Amino acid sequence: MTTDEAGSSIHHVIPIASGKGGVGKSTVTANLALALARQGARVGVMDADVYGPSIPTILGVTSQPEMDGDRLVPAEHDGVKVMSMGFFMAPEQAVVWRGPMLHKTMQQFLNGVDWGALDYLIVDLPPGTGDVQLSLCQSIPIAGAVIVSTSQDVALNVAQKAVAMFRSLNAPILGVVENMSAYVCPGCGAHDDIFGTGGAEALAGRLGVAFLGAVPLTAAVRRASDEGKPLVVAAPDSAPARAFAEIARNIDTLMRRMEPDVRPQVTF
Amino acid sequence: MGSAIVPPPLEIGRANSHDVRIRWADGHESVYPSADLRLACPCASCEQQAVPPARGQLRMLPAGVQSVHPLRIELSGGFGIRIYWSDGHSQGLYGFAHLRALCPCCRAGEGRGAA
Repeated sequence: MTTDEAGSSIHHVIPIASGKGGVGKSTVTANLALALARQGARVGVMDADVYGPSIPTILGVTSQPEMDGDRLVPAEHDGVKVMSMGFFMAPEQAVVWRGPMLHKTMQQFLNGVDWGALDYLIVDLPPGTGDVQLSLCQSIPIAGAVIVSTSQDVALNVAQKAVAMFRSLNAPILGVVENMSAYVCPGCGAHDDIFGTGGAEALAGRLGVAFLGAVPLTAAVRRASDEGKPLVVAAPDSAPARAFAEIARNIDTLMRRMEPDVRPQVTF
Repeated sequence: MGSAIVPPPLEIGRANSHDVRIRWADGHESVYPSADLRLACPCASCEQQAVPPARGQLRMLPAGVQSVHPLRIELSGGFGIRIYWSDGHSQGLYGFAHLRALCPCCRAGEGRGAA
């Protein structure tokens, strides 16, 4: 558990990573957070994709974070606390920063936000294995990273790099999620493996980590994200929403089975 | 950053007024002379200085390195530690794998403890 001087206490920090862009990290982050919250957990989402924040849009957050003294109070939506760079810039503005500014922003989001008591802080990481990932892993103990990939080789190959990065930073890997798995035609019900299928599960097996589940590719997921009404809330009985709920249960089960994090004692 | 699995440290503290002691989960104990640890700082600036100088160039060592000592040590996530040195430097993040590789007795092949 991580606690800070101002009283925030976070049990599990779970980064959502992929290495590759465009595989649906933010969609998975938003839906997982909501699924965990609907299963009774206290959840926060930290949008660490500073250059391309999309969590406020996907979650449909309309309120803004507020200041309480020198700390930011996160926006809250559907029972999930949310902090994102997207709250502080207009859609047409771009963040053009070098690494040190990214590091400062991560520090601000971790230590300058009044997260309160959380069971899970889900962190939506940007693509790549760079400054933001380094700053996060070198600032706070990671409970376990979730790797998101489609089943196609180009995504799986880069996902392996994300795994290698977490391992080199002593951050455990919780498991792998296959996103944009089999497409089911809403008209005839036929399956089409547009990005392939089974690749993420095979990757999880090779890496010796859990396969957390597969989320089917449907137009409804995209529509729900664009409209700010994630399927876990808008259509909880849909196939993708049920998949997200199962992945959330798998994560929660894994976290409960994990041995408590023993941090070294520093007496200096 | 090596890929070998390194047992996590359990305790990080003082060996004496200058040196750092780490007790690892496998029972091994490492004692690091302060000057050696300071010279092994992994920050970009220090690593650049650690590159053997070209012929005819002097190697720059931090001023007063023999008397430098840690003022404070803090954890850096689950990755390692940051050391605040008496010479004002604190940029280096010492990963646990790096620290284990730097263990003086392991390097000398004279393992102590239960490792």
